Amino acid sequence: MNTSPPRSLVAELTYRCPLGCLYCSNPLDFAKRRAELSTGDWSRIFAQAAALGVLQLHLTGGEPLLRDDLTELTAAARACDLYINLITSGVGLTEARLDAFRAAGLDHVQLSLQDGDEAGADYVAGAGVHRRKLAVARMIARMKIPLTLNFVVHRLNLDRVGAMIDLAAELGARRVELASVQFHGWALLNRAHLMPTPEQNDRAEAIARGAAERLRGLMEVVFVRNDYLAGRPKQCMGGWGRGTIVIDPAGRAMPCQAAASIAGLEFPNVRTATLGEIWRDSAVFNAFRGYDWMREPCRQCPERERDFGGCRCQAFALTGDAAAADPACEFSPHHRTVISARTELSERINPVYRTARSSRDIFHRNNSPGG
Amino acid sequence: MNSDAPDGGWRPRLAAGVRLRVDPADGRERLLFPEAALELNETAAAIVRLCDGRRSLAEIVGELTGRYGTTGAIARETAEFLGAMRERRLVE
Repeated sequence: MNTSPPRSLVAELTYRCPLGCLYCSNPLDFAKRRAELSTGDWSRIFAQAAALGVLQLHLTGGEPLLRDDLTELTAAARACDLYINLITSGVGLTEARLDAFRAAGLDHVQLSLQDGDEAGADYVAGAGVHRRKLAVARMIARMKIPLTLNFVVHRLNLDRVGAMIDLAAELGARRVELASVQFHGWALLNRAHLMPTPEQNDRAEAIARGAAERLRGLMEVVFVRNDYLAGRPKQCMGGWGRGTIVIDPAGRAMPCQAAASIAGLEFPNVRTATLGEIWRDSAVFNAFRGYDWMREPCRQCPERERDFGGCRCQAFALTGDAAAADPACEFSPHHRTVISARTELSERINPVYRTARSSRDIFHRNNSPGG
Repeated sequence: MNSDAPDGGWRPRLAAGVRLRVDPADGRERLLFPEAALELNETAAAIVRLCDGRRSLAEIVGELTGRYGTTGAIARETAEFLGAMRERRLVE
């Protein structure tokens, strides 16, 4: 197959993180994956990526600030002319460090906030960090580094999107993203706690629409609806293997951040193959490329060129078959699973924080005999 | 407020965090910002290259008119394009 080049690279530099967010996109078994690529490995990958056609680099984690070589990595990426976006919680970011990143060529910072309200934010993060994050946001704005604030929104905070938008404007963000929780990994584990109600979503969406209009030219306001409530599946990653490569801390190359949740896929590693070989020839990147892998109802569906059958990880998580239609789609025979998720009861169980301890517990449970 | 048509004295420049570069994959110029790599046609790229914070909008239109001809469409289209870019906070 003649493949178009990848345009963006997501570099998960580490799984270490001081936060324990209930919706974290890292794999459930992250605690047993402690290996991390070296500065030299990443520099080589950046150069290969740029040569392959990648224009944008997203440095993320875990918390990328926990890499001591982040300034060197930024410089290495800039040497290949990549556009560099740092995705961070901000915890531990100092003015001196940010200044060094900027001098090394950092283009933009995307800072996560968990809520517009301190108690709500710290509850979701499982750590008392909200106030420090606000100070970091102010520091970034003061240093005139372009800032996007990202709030993952869900049932516990969706009623406060107005406060989130006001906060983002006050902090001097160029853009605020109100991104509904996506149910993979930790978020799927905590779905009963995080699933928004349709009414809540509609109200929040209307507030965001009004704010987008009111703040036009001052701050961009983007709301992304939860796909369980949309009727149509999300066009995940712009389509599998169509534009994005994700590299995990140990060098596994994946088409999206949740892809490792699909059982049976063997991921190529950047330590043993070039990015070009991985992109063009690896079984994983070709597994769901194009349309030939599709089953009914996707195969005949006119929407397939728009949504590419939706999210493969979600299809696997909810149906056990990664080639099935995404159950978020109203035409999926499994669509009732997302409908019934709206009314799941959460009162019986506690939410699970993304910590090394809970990661190990889950891993042991899944690998114990008979379990 | 900011959706008004830009005036001729405005000296547009690329906003912080926005970069113009040639895409080696196809030789076209793209505007890079965190969410996208916006493909620019030849005219749009010519306009953006002149947005250096020193030239006024009127001067940019003057240069483009000298280069491409003397139709009034250049003034209108340049103002519209840069107004839309300003609304997206890509130029300021």
